[in-house]
Amino acid sequence: MEERIIKFIAALRAAGVRVSMAESQDAWRAIERLGVRDRDTFRLSLRATLVKDADALPTFEALFPLYFGSGTPPLGNPQAGLTPEQQQMLRELLEQMMRDLARQLQQLLEWLFSGRGPSEEDLQQLAQQTGMDPSRYPSPASARRLARRMLDLLGWDQLQDLLDQIWEALAEAGMDPRAIEQLQQQVGENADRLADQLGEFAGQQVREQRVEQARRRSPRDLLDRPLNQLSSEDMDALREQVRRLAARLRSRAALRHKRGKQGKLDPKATLRANLRYHGVPFDMRFRQRKLKPKLVVILDVSTSMRPVVEFFLRLLYELQDQVQKTRSFAFVDHLEDVTGDLQSHRLDDAIALVLTKLPAGHYNTDLGRSLRQLEAAHLDALDRRTTLIVLGDARNNFNDPALDTFGRLCRRARRVIWLNPEHPAQWGSGDSDMLDYAPLCSAVFQTRSLSQLADAVDRILG
Amino acid sequence: MFETVESVRHALDGQQYIATDEIATVLFLAESLGKPLLAEGPAGVGKTELSKAWAAATGRELVRLQCYEGLDESKALYEWEYAKQMLYTQLLRDRLANLLADTQSLAEAADRLGQEEDVFFSDRFLLPRPLLRAIRSDRPTVLLIDEIDRADAEFEAFLLEVLSDFQVSIPEIGTIAAKQRPVVFLTSNNTRELSEALKRRCLYLYIDYPDTEEELRIVRLKVPELAPELARQAVEVVQSLRTLDLKKSPSVSETLDWARALVTLNTRSLDSAMLENTLTVLLKYEADVERARRALRRVGGEGNGRTYH
Repeated sequence: MEERIIKFIAALRAAGVRVSMAESQDAWRAIERLGVRDRDTFRLSLRATLVKDADALPTFEALFPLYFGSGTPPLGNPQAGLTPEQQQMLRELLEQMMRDLARQLQQLLEWLFSGRGPSEEDLQQLAQQTGMDPSRYPSPASARRLARRMLDLLGWDQLQDLLDQIWEALAEAGMDPRAIEQLQQQVGENADRLADQLGEFAGQQVREQRVEQARRRSPRDLLDRPLNQLSSEDMDALREQVRRLAARLRSRAALRHKRGKQGKLDPKATLRANLRYHGVPFDMRFRQRKLKPKLVVILDVSTSMRPVVEFFLRLLYELQDQVQKTRSFAFVDHLEDVTGDLQSHRLDDAIALVLTKLPAGHYNTDLGRSLRQLEAAHLDALDRRTTLIVLGDARNNFNDPALDTFGRLCRRARRVIWLNPEHPAQWGSGDSDMLDYAPLCSAVFQTRSLSQLADAVDRILG
Repeated sequence: MFETVESVRHALDGQQYIATDEIATVLFLAESLGKPLLAEGPAGVGKTELSKAWAAATGRELVRLQCYEGLDESKALYEWEYAKQMLYTQLLRDRLANLLADTQSLAEAADRLGQEEDVFFSDRFLLPRPLLRAIRSDRPTVLLIDEIDRADAEFEAFLLEVLSDFQVSIPEIGTIAAKQRPVVFLTSNNTRELSEALKRRCLYLYIDYPDTEEELRIVRLKVPELAPELARQAVEVVQSLRTLDLKKSPSVSETLDWARALVTLNTRSLDSAMLENTLTVLLKYEADVERARRALRRVGGEGNGRTYH
């Protein structure tokens, strides 16, 4: 048992759950108090001591049955209450019936009537015979399919008829009806439990696979993969990451605000605070400088940006949540103010809405025109407190890049930051005007992956 | 004091707190291992309530420290009562003058005054804040550190020190060790990640929204005036609302508020008009209310076993 617990803790660590020495010690102490007899209590005592993160709870729940069994009760021996003669009678009858049965069905009857269920290897073999590979699509549905197929292979659908025949034959042979009833009940119960065991086994196969996959797909790995090379499964995992990233940014930003609040001396507050010292100013009070950044974000949602646009929008949504004064614009061939869309809708709706508002056409991106629109209509959004962020690849279809307009915008804003998903080597190639825009910006970041994005955002907030 | 998990649950039951197996087990462990208990989970599932119930069940005094941004030692641990010190020096001015009358030099006067320093930095002028109160208390206490995630990371580090040995040192007085080791509850709404070090020292309890039966039991217990039939319907509505993707899901306390509202409004049956009118008790965002209305209408329209009209 001890070894199993140690292995279990090792597996938790391998799956990315942080378990310290102190925590595993606590686990031992908890087990000492509560024992291992009650499976549920045992599970809870491990969980409370080892897992300190709600995100890690599913991992724990997935691993636990792999190491400590599933809790489905074992089969019972139906022959326990029979006299030796009755057992003999049953054995003879079963032997006679099994002679012309398929091998699988023979085994099934054997399990049910002996009370010794299938071993782990039996189950493995059976699973192999189904020819299904749960590792390919590890999902609860595929676990159910696997269990179903295993039952089919055993000849489950013929079982009821077969059992009826047996009961009949036993009655004919003159067995005590009460003994038969007892047999019936226990065998029926065994059948249910066997089905449960198979289901549990199939579930375990799938879970093992999932744990394996989760290990391979660690978040760090995800963060560094290019945004447009992600499968839809990765997307879900990534979404989670973006959310966590935003949460972390929020607390980091809050901390920074606090550290940086040594403002001007506040005479009124200082006088008031020092009345208790006879007005001798021991305790200086400072007026907190209200650092309220303003953001204006321009997002390119054209065809060339499509693979990453959803993520930029997601980020924009979170940013708008984070920095209250954020104006968001999106453009393809013209500019649209999407601040309201992002504000009043939930994330997924908002993204869909923005993308339908600005359908991407063929080769119609026009950043120059969009910039001029910004200058003409929304110049009030830009002032000396504003950080202007451009999210785009600067592929302008050889349209006028409107550099003079961009220059004026840059002079007006406090900072201009450009986030470009393309590799710097590609800047300036083909229809990219990036090299012309870059010198006007205060900072240019390549954001091909989430971690680069995170770094950039961190610097913007800082 | 509590030998089994069952007795813990029973004690909580006595305080009208319905504990799941998990809550009772983890609480039992916290009590018997002497470790702080960190309860996380969505807002309004009874994290704070748990510590109150436990204090009442064990007859301990509840000392509560509500965390907020900018909370520091002087608000959490202790502060010198400057005003009182000031007042005393004023009133004792004559005595001080007498004391210092026969001194020859300034240095001598300062030395003599220094000998009396203890008078001014003694228990008399110490203003204990929740943490010190819990540590100094003669009676056993339950220390509730509420919404620790709102406090700053620096404060968390400071808290670690206190939680690891339950003693604090006050430079002017010395080290004060706990007479009775308090039972510590920390709650967090998970608005930011707590530090690994803090988590390591605690037992972890994640309290999620209860399932239908549990929540129904809670409603029946807390709002017994609500008709059983209606209570079930109400809980089912709340449960179905939680499956929607809302900005803020209704919490258990909001379910209770709603149940009380239904009692106050003398509701006989949960029809769609009543539902729409009172939905704002449960949901606090306009967008959520809109969304819930649409969803509930859909459910009502299909009438798949759950009709609200």
